[in-house]
Amino acid sequence: MGASKWSERIFGTPLPDPVVIGSFLFPLLYLIAFLIIPVLVMLGNAFLYNGKPSLFWFKSIFQSGYYFNPLHPQGSFVTTIEWGGKTVYYFSGLDFGVVVNSIIVSISVMILTTILGVSFAFVMARYDFPGKNIVRILLFVPLLVTPFVNVVVVKKMFLPDGLINWIFYQHLHLFPHPVWIDGLVGVVIAQSITYYPIVYLNAYASFINIDPTLEEQAENLGSKGFHLFRTVTFPLALPGITAGAILVGIFSLEDLAAPIVFQGSAIAKKLMSYQIYSSFVSGFAIGNPQMAALSLVMLTIALIMFLLVRWYVGMRQYAMLSKGGRWKPRVAKPKGWQAAVIYLVVIPTLLLTIFPQIGVVLLAFSERWYGTWPEGFTLANMKALLTQPDIAQVIRNSLMYSTVAIVIILLLSLTASYAAGRFKKAKLSPILDSLATIPIAVPGIVIAMSYFFFFSTVPPFKGTILDPTNLLAFFPGAALILAYSIRRLPFAARSISAGIQQVHVSLEESAMNLGAGRWKALTSVLIPLILLNLLGGAMLSFVYCMSETSVGITLGSINSTWYPITAKMRELIIGSVGSANLAAALGVFLMLVQIVAIVLANVITKQRYSFIGLT
Amino acid sequence: MVEVKLENIVKTFGETVALKGINLDIKHGELFTLLGPSGCGKSTTLRIIAGLDYPDSGRIYFGDNEVTYLPSHQRGAVLVFQNYALWPHMSVFDNIAYGLKIRKVPKEEIKKKVEWALELVRLKGFEDRYPTQLSGGQQQRVAIARALVVEPKVLLLDEPLSNLDAKLRLEMRSEIRRIQRELGITVIYVTHDQEEAMAISDRIAVMNVGTVEQVGTPKEIYENPRTEFVASFMGKTNVIPAKVVEREGDRVTVEFEHFRLDGLTYTGEKDEVVLVIRPERIQLKPGENTVAIEGTVDLVEYYGFFVEVIGLFGETRIIARTISDREVGNLKPTQPVTFYIDRRNIIVLPKQQL
Repeated sequence: MGASKWSERIFGTPLPDPVVIGSFLFPLLYLIAFLIIPVLVMLGNAFLYNGKPSLFWFKSIFQSGYYFNPLHPQGSFVTTIEWGGKTVYYFSGLDFGVVVNSIIVSISVMILTTILGVSFAFVMARYDFPGKNIVRILLFVPLLVTPFVNVVVVKKMFLPDGLINWIFYQHLHLFPHPVWIDGLVGVVIAQSITYYPIVYLNAYASFINIDPTLEEQAENLGSKGFHLFRTVTFPLALPGITAGAILVGIFSLEDLAAPIVFQGSAIAKKLMSYQIYSSFVSGFAIGNPQMAALSLVMLTIALIMFLLVRWYVGMRQYAMLSKGGRWKPRVAKPKGWQAAVIYLVVIPTLLLTIFPQIGVVLLAFSERWYGTWPEGFTLANMKALLTQPDIAQVIRNSLMYSTVAIVIILLLSLTASYAAGRFKKAKLSPILDSLATIPIAVPGIVIAMSYFFFFSTVPPFKGTILDPTNLLAFFPGAALILAYSIRRLPFAARSISAGIQQVHVSLEESAMNLGAGRWKALTSVLIPLILLNLLGGAMLSFVYCMSETSVGITLGSINSTWYPITAKMRELIIGSVGSANLAAALGVFLMLVQIVAIVLANVITKQRYSFIGLT
Repeated sequence: MVEVKLENIVKTFGETVALKGINLDIKHGELFTLLGPSGCGKSTTLRIIAGLDYPDSGRIYFGDNEVTYLPSHQRGAVLVFQNYALWPHMSVFDNIAYGLKIRKVPKEEIKKKVEWALELVRLKGFEDRYPTQLSGGQQQRVAIARALVVEPKVLLLDEPLSNLDAKLRLEMRSEIRRIQRELGITVIYVTHDQEEAMAISDRIAVMNVGTVEQVGTPKEIYENPRTEFVASFMGKTNVIPAKVVEREGDRVTVEFEHFRLDGLTYTGEKDEVVLVIRPERIQLKPGENTVAIEGTVDLVEYYGFFVEVIGLFGETRIIARTISDREVGNLKPTQPVTFYIDRRNIIVLPKQQL
């Protein structure tokens, strides 16, 4: 018996309790061991040249025109070329060097996704129009993650004989010549279509959460129309929109699917993510400190974006200033021209953005796809999911890795959310809180690269099944499970801390006051009350583990017996003709997993399926 | 059942000092109230007694045992939370049985005890309901039953009536008093409502910004407040700033506005004082040992069974309360009026920085 000042300072409770200390130390040590230290080991390699501390590798990046050429861009944004006897506008993008290209692509994607996401969100939040419920359902479609294959469809859409030209050139005659979108422009378009739902969900939530009396007051004072939107609505929703846009920027930075699908155009390879990835694939360059340095450049950019938005959103919590429960949202019937915009611009655009998911299904059920439409209906690809041994194997692998990862993720997020949520005064709380959310800002390829350096050089792991240079013994599953558990932690942690915040602390206190120890109070009161959040978080993370790409196609593709689904999909996409259809079948499988998870989350847990924000 | 003793309890939250050295002696079997405005530290004191917070310094004793750093679950000081803290995923029975299950009481006995507790709070037949199916008053009773069933050494009630409507509040107030008498248990009760505190308590500690200003029976505290804060907190009263102009031992003459009042009792050192006069102690007719002050009527307020006359004396407003209509007669604003006050009913207290 007796209180201790240090325990109060560090853990937020003067009586050192094993449950509390464990809740702090388990997630902290795990994150330090499998996130912080690996990144630091990689950092060490990047700053080392001939055994001495040096900036050599960073200089080699920033002094090389290949990586850094902001002033004299190569190539042309758009050219006219002859294609099948026709003149075609060929868009590929300018080459400013790998680092600058990545930044430009990321910013372009942020702008495009913001335009798309905010427009859709505003229409859905503020207008009531016939067919709105169908649109609401359609808006779920682009949320379905189908690595690689949706980009394959996007690429097909923007070929000279693709869907876009079929509509706008062939039928509507809006284009003087067909367009062909390829290279970095293709990457931007593909990423924008893939990621805009994140901005949409954030913007929608922000619009819905604006206290209607704020807008009514402005109207009452004489503001209306676009002025009202510009001076009240948009500024109030801006923090949420910014958070979504920045998240998309980070996702664009680390995305590998689009550059890999577009790699036929050399310029699409000139992105940081692709460069690091290709050093893995080409094998001989593995362990190249220059790639460690490039990873750090990428990580730094992502972290700056992440920290800036956290700071900005933290400064502007006023959107939630108003008190009061649910209010009646402001929805109006669109006027004539507004209805025209909704039916002629917004909904057709939405249909185009869900075409990739539709296309994946078409691709999976067809024999070939050369022109505008796929041809030759077949069930062979779908059957192969069950019958083809290597395909069934990767499904089993992914299910196994994801299941194990989910168990770890739940333990981590439960302990971390409990510690940081219930002992806010502890010195460790803000540290734990930041560490548990920071994986969002760490590109997957950076984790893959740091794991490579970490597990192949640091003594307790060197030479074990975690060491990727130890080819005979290396078990990719172990590395993948660790990477999944780190990368997907924030998704579950957010759901669970939301649950813990909803349970008033007095419910646990009264249990302890009536004689329950901390452990008993946790298992008999808190956990039963947040069971739905646990389930929701588990399903969300499971879905994202199954579709994890960056680590899966690098560390995960070293030994084909242990491929996860995404490694197999990559192999099929870059492989022989026709195997994209098989990859699409795997994409359909992933979509089914997600639909089941969403339906379960909606029906059983009655939770709204939503993406993670940055706050 | 146990005596509770707090010795010099200090508690800080970050920069703010919540408790600045609290000393309390709570007797066995007594209903003891911590009374004060919000933020005065009364709930913090209660949580420290419950073992849900720990003091920075000082000691707590239950009887002869020091329990300062004993974890809540080993302490046996059971708190009924302001929001009741009933577990929504458990039935009324399971809520009440929780503490008994943890104490590994045999099943049959649990059943008997829960029945007893439900009978005590008059909720028999509600075993299988869930908290969300109960009214506020019923939830409150379940919370009390859940606390009583484990036979606590001391029962702690944190603003137990604040979430109930006015009628229910009166009902539950006597209910709590009845249960406490029936079981003869030590109860520590927290409230910000002085009327509630007076009605229910054996003794009251009046708290203000982390200190105990006065401890005493309701009568002592009302009639004999020892500080300006206590006087002004205990119901509607006149607090008139004044100055001591003459002293003769305990006898002083004070001055406010242009009035000089002699023959008052004051033992303090400061010359800056306040005169505390209960409105019902002011008369409109002269009596024995009274001082008279002349002013004008500002307002007459009719409350039904009593009438208040607010008089203006220079710049100072003083309220007189009388139950007789006749005394007030036809007093109208701006008419001259004289207030008569028995010297023994003028309490002179040093001026306090409030």
